[in-house]
Amino acid sequence: MKTTLLTIVGSMMIFLFSPGNVQAQLSGEAIMLKVYELPTGDDTQGELTMTLTNKQGEERVRKLTQYLLNEGETEKKIMFFTAPADVKGTSFMNWSYTNGKEDDQWIYLPALKRTKRISSSGKGDYFMGSDFTYDDLGDRHPSSDTHQLVREESLDGVDCYVVESTPKDPDYMYSRTLTWVDKSRFIGIKREFYDEDGDLLKILTIKSTDEINGFLTILETEMKQVQKNHRTNMRFSNVKVNQGIPANKFTERSMTLGQ
Amino acid sequence: MKFFWITISLFLWASIALQAQSNYSLNGYVRNFTALGLSEPNEFAIGQNTFDLTLKGGSSRASFTVNPFLYHYYDNELEWGLREAYVDLYFNNWDLRVGKQQIIWGKAEGVFITDMVAPKDLRLFLMPDFEEIRMGVTSVKLNYYRGMHSFEAVWIPFFTPTLMPEAGSMWTPQMPFPVQPQWDYSLAQVDRTLENSELFFRYSLLSSYIDLEWMGGSFLYDDPMLSVQKQIDPLSQQLLGITLLPEYKRVNMTGGSFSLPIADWVVRGEAAYYQGREFQINNPEVPSGLSEHDFLHYMVGVDYSLAGVKLSAQLIQENILDYQSGLVKPETRNTMTFLARKDFLRERLWLELFTYIGLDEEDALIRPKVSYLFYDGVEFVAGANLFTGNQGQFGQYESNDMVYFKLKYSF
Repeated sequence: MKTTLLTIVGSMMIFLFSPGNVQAQLSGEAIMLKVYELPTGDDTQGELTMTLTNKQGEERVRKLTQYLLNEGETEKKIMFFTAPADVKGTSFMNWSYTNGKEDDQWIYLPALKRTKRISSSGKGDYFMGSDFTYDDLGDRHPSSDTHQLVREESLDGVDCYVVESTPKDPDYMYSRTLTWVDKSRFIGIKREFYDEDGDLLKILTIKSTDEINGFLTILETEMKQVQKNHRTNMRFSNVKVNQGIPANKFTERSMTLGQ
Repeated sequence: MKFFWITISLFLWASIALQAQSNYSLNGYVRNFTALGLSEPNEFAIGQNTFDLTLKGGSSRASFTVNPFLYHYYDNELEWGLREAYVDLYFNNWDLRVGKQQIIWGKAEGVFITDMVAPKDLRLFLMPDFEEIRMGVTSVKLNYYRGMHSFEAVWIPFFTPTLMPEAGSMWTPQMPFPVQPQWDYSLAQVDRTLENSELFFRYSLLSSYIDLEWMGGSFLYDDPMLSVQKQIDPLSQQLLGITLLPEYKRVNMTGGSFSLPIADWVVRGEAAYYQGREFQINNPEVPSGLSEHDFLHYMVGVDYSLAGVKLSAQLIQENILDYQSGLVKPETRNTMTFLARKDFLRERLWLELFTYIGLDEEDALIRPKVSYLFYDGVEFVAGANLFTGNQGQFGQYESNDMVYFKLKYSF
């Protein structure tokens, strides 16, 4: 599911797995590892529109263009904010590593005209005021949690494994999560997040997918904060896969120029 | 004149390039900024309306940026100008930017250490936003990129001084003179000659382990040095008067900065070594009242996020080398800054506390602030600037405590 979330923010691409590869009996660990290891494109780009809706129904819209490059052990992501006006020109770059090294993050604020390295300690912070934390959008390895297959059931006509994941770190922001994994494609299509008290906190739902360049791409998703009754809708457009984004896209120069 | 024609040529070249593939954007803001003094008789310290517009256009080969601004004050005084107006040319591994531009260097926040390219507008001390304190300068900036390495050279043909508070302003620094000095600006004029142009260079690296900068420059120091002429009665040896002659002196600077992630922390550092800075001195054997010294200015700071609160602290030290008695500025000066910031209501409400603390004079500038976004682009800010102590770089303004309000519409 984390891979799914990663691809939501990156390009939302998931390679279609052959159902013939699916084992009849899989453990929770094996299911989540399969989800995590789904291959994605080497690079992706697209435009993201994020709509924040509060409990009164008022909407706030954020727009950005983003690029993602997978270099094997390093995944680089850069975002250029285009709306609203007071954040336009802001750039955010994140490098994440498979070897467990903490993410590197930088932000460029056009008013200050300076690229600043920022602390990665704020993974529990919410991304641009949305209902997604930075960690929700990151690439959490399955080994960070213990997983248990709790049941199999149909969700909106899709046969799913339901896997409960419990973090090994007791201080992690969620006490557990429940993930509905599509049996045929090995993608997470729904996830419930439970807070420190064990109460349901948020629900992530995949709302729209399409196949782009041979990869299943999630085009719309929604995170609902059930305790405060607000939600965030993420809709992707102009998604392109494996277009050969050059490595120099992920530099201070790009952040400064905003392109 | 040659610079003018080069600039015009670049504009024309850019215009032709823009015809191929163009897109334009127009953004800006309108803002009211009202500040009320907390000391009797509670005068309005700042009453300012601002209109700021940024027009950008261009293609992948060239672009332009024009940023005009207009300040209207409550006494109907109008001030307008161009914060920036420049043309960018983009090539494979290098960029060229020509025109009036703000160039910001260094890793320190709220402090100017190696950040010496852009002169400052200090007429309201540190009250405006920092993007308004740093002024644009007409310059040529060339950047060359190689991977994560970046090389930058800046040539400033025309000197632009820091704008100091006007005489009689509440922000005029305390003068260490027994009598009210007179001002003589005859030495403050800087001829527009090649000899008076300024040159800066910078190398920077952004990597997964560390961010580095190394920079240097030969330039006229933007803040005026004050030569002192004393009028003394030859008979009684009584001081009759003092005349201050501001002038701008060339200095050489080299320095560097780093930003290093350590676990969840970011450790920052910045240092500058100035060769040949001049300082005011009260010494009868130095009739000019100025003494030349090398100068060291450095900072170390940390950033951390705890429970959603962004925390930052910096320790800054200034050090005059080969110190001699009579210098007005102390041999060392230690300052600390502290920042705490947290958002609420999904980034609609922000609470912030930024503080300068003078460790030697036990003075401080405390700046609490609350920001609220009514709607996207419509922001209300309420804050205070509170000075403590009675001397030092902040304590000297102890009677300038104020609360302020800003309403800003961005589009």
